[in-house]
Amino acid sequence: MIPLTIAGLELGRLIRDRTAVFFMVLLPTVIILVIGATMADAGQLRVGIVAGESTVLSADLVRELRSMPGVDVQEVADEDTARTRLRRGELDAAVVVPVGLDAALRSGATAAIPLLGAGAESSRQAALSAVSGTLARHATRVRAALFAAERFGDLDSRLATASAAQNAMPSVGVRAETVDAGSDFLPRGFGSSAPTMLLLFVFINSLAGGAAIIQARTLGIHQRVMAAPVRPRHIVVGETLAYLLIGLLQSALIVAIGAVLFGVDWGDPLAAGALILVWALVGTGTGVLSGTLFRTAEQATAIGPAVGIALGMLGGAMWPLEIVPPPMRTIGHLTPHAWAVDGWVEVLSRGGGLFDIGLELAVLGGFAAVLLTTASLRLRRRLTA
Amino acid sequence: MTILIIAAKDLRQRLRDKSAIVLGFLAPVAIAWLMSAAFGGVGGFHLEAAVVDQDGGDIAAAFTAMLADDDLADLVTLHPVSGVDDARAKLADGEVSAVFVLPAGFSAAVRGTAAVPVTVLGTVDEPVARQVGVAVAEAFVARFNAVRLSVVTALAAGADPATVADLAAEAARLDLPEYLVDTPIGSRQLSAISYFGPGMGIFFAMFAIGFTARGYHAEREAGTLDRLLAAPVRRGSVLAGKSLAAFAYAMASLTTMAVVTTLVFDAYWGPLPAAAALIAAMALAMAALTALVISLTRNQRQAEGLASMLTFGLVLLGGNFVFVSVAPAALRGLALFTPNGWALRGFTDLATGAPATAALLPVAAIVGFAAATAVIATAATRWRRP
Repeated sequence: MIPLTIAGLELGRLIRDRTAVFFMVLLPTVIILVIGATMADAGQLRVGIVAGESTVLSADLVRELRSMPGVDVQEVADEDTARTRLRRGELDAAVVVPVGLDAALRSGATAAIPLLGAGAESSRQAALSAVSGTLARHATRVRAALFAAERFGDLDSRLATASAAQNAMPSVGVRAETVDAGSDFLPRGFGSSAPTMLLLFVFINSLAGGAAIIQARTLGIHQRVMAAPVRPRHIVVGETLAYLLIGLLQSALIVAIGAVLFGVDWGDPLAAGALILVWALVGTGTGVLSGTLFRTAEQATAIGPAVGIALGMLGGAMWPLEIVPPPMRTIGHLTPHAWAVDGWVEVLSRGGGLFDIGLELAVLGGFAAVLLTTASLRLRRRLTA
Repeated sequence: MTILIIAAKDLRQRLRDKSAIVLGFLAPVAIAWLMSAAFGGVGGFHLEAAVVDQDGGDIAAAFTAMLADDDLADLVTLHPVSGVDDARAKLADGEVSAVFVLPAGFSAAVRGTAAVPVTVLGTVDEPVARQVGVAVAEAFVARFNAVRLSVVTALAAGADPATVADLAAEAARLDLPEYLVDTPIGSRQLSAISYFGPGMGIFFAMFAIGFTARGYHAEREAGTLDRLLAAPVRRGSVLAGKSLAAFAYAMASLTTMAVVTTLVFDAYWGPLPAAAALIAAMALAMAALTALVISLTRNQRQAEGLASMLTFGLVLLGGNFVFVSVAPAALRGLALFTPNGWALRGFTDLATGAPATAALLPVAAIVGFAAATAVIATAATRWRRP
């Protein structure tokens, strides 16, 4: 009963603290929104178009480019703007439809269309390939119209005929097929930002939350409590329970916000629940340990978030470990974060259930057991010292 | 003079605190190292591909030869596969990211009128690879489709159907009338460390706002501030001194970050005067924010809470944690409502080779933000004076 009372009081104190509520709920929500919105289209090619003059053949090319499949096509006012946006990385490439294109094509000349690019040569080559497929479709049409117009005149109406024929006639096509292999990444957008921010914030909150234990110690609250018939183990269990409840409460809020506001599908409830529980246990161990490791509350609140962010980066909660060099991936798996992210990838991207994440749960359980044991022993020693 | 003495005392006190050293100097460097290590191996795009030739004809062989050509060596590496199943397995393992399947009858179909498609197999994790694969194949088949379309269009215009073979032969001799030219704009490439170096430096330097504001209220609560005010020192001077300490701390922290990331991680913060101006402007904005937090709060707890919310709110909107250039236009616009968003815009421009003058507008915007914040802080101090 005494541990429950201690846990209840700690929880009540937290809920009354507006700053804590900001860090527990509002901040993760905003971060999920910002990172989710930013990364939603990550990986998609972004190509700008600087439209030239509005003549028949130029306009036809711009129309074709606008409908490039799978490419984020953006209109750009002029070449200078395109260059600035390319430099800043807002675009991967920009097609500049040259002035005089119409006249050049009508005269039978071959037209060079500049594709501006800023990145590494291989990245420019990727954009070049993607755009050239679409340009080839337009060039095919113009070639056919010119071929017919050389014999029968009236290029504009031949272009209309070629367009209609291009859509109707059987041509040697190219079709894309996605092989049904499970993804190694979390789902794009909010499906990625919600679970990773859950990991990051439950952990950071626990680390910074160690400040409460330090305050209770420095103010002599623990000593005063023990003047009553309360044993050190009651305080250890009570504090631990409080951290676990806080971690679970924060996780539940992030899951609810993710599902309701951002439409995140959290996968198999049993597997997701197990991941959340075991992560809250890892957070609990970390929080209580931080309460016994840091000397002052200020250290815990200041250094805690920095340590949490660094471990999140190492463990793949800030960016996928799939994109980092293999040694960094190995080092990352020394943190519990990497195992938790692996578990979420299995559950959210491959439809995995409880048994599919057995290894991840076991490793995380091991982390939690070591952290909780060390933290409890240290706290108990501090209380009885 | 009083302001300088107060600021110097505050800085000495701050530097005795290990947390301030960790947050202002060690943590940003450690995080920058992490980012550099994580993104160091992220290069440009390269297509690991395989061809499954079920046709065996000359056009299928020409397609494979095109992919293996030296012109595409920077873009494509071909991996041998024994068949479709092997190719699918290699796709699933991540060994290749796109597979071209040329079906039986492909070469004959290209010469005739049948529609036998090339299939490009890809994975969900590499949409760009699939897309590039499709585009490469489309560009290859385009010349054959151009012949067909030319003949069909000529026939529709009134050509004699008996001359189809001649028309096709003639059309086959013609090239496509448009082609793309790779035109590099000659800018420097923005490395992760050149963006996240300033991003993380600003984030950690902003913790000075909370430290300093809390320190002010700690002194007030302990009564030392009242004793100080008993001397001929104005409350405004104390506020200015505290803000100056935050300015100096932020300058030192950001400068350390710039020097260490430049020397150790090869970051580029831009030409020295422009980068220094951006750092100084940003430190000024942090000093003004410190004054604002002090003026709007009544105790340490409030100061810590408001400073944390301001810090995290600004860094989130400003793009310190995400590469803001890939964000949607609305988020990019929002970033320019924050001083750190402007600073990152400035550092991005400088790091990508824009002239030093590109920092002028960001510096002006940050100084404007600092001035507006200082005016609000002054008004709030006067209004709340007992």
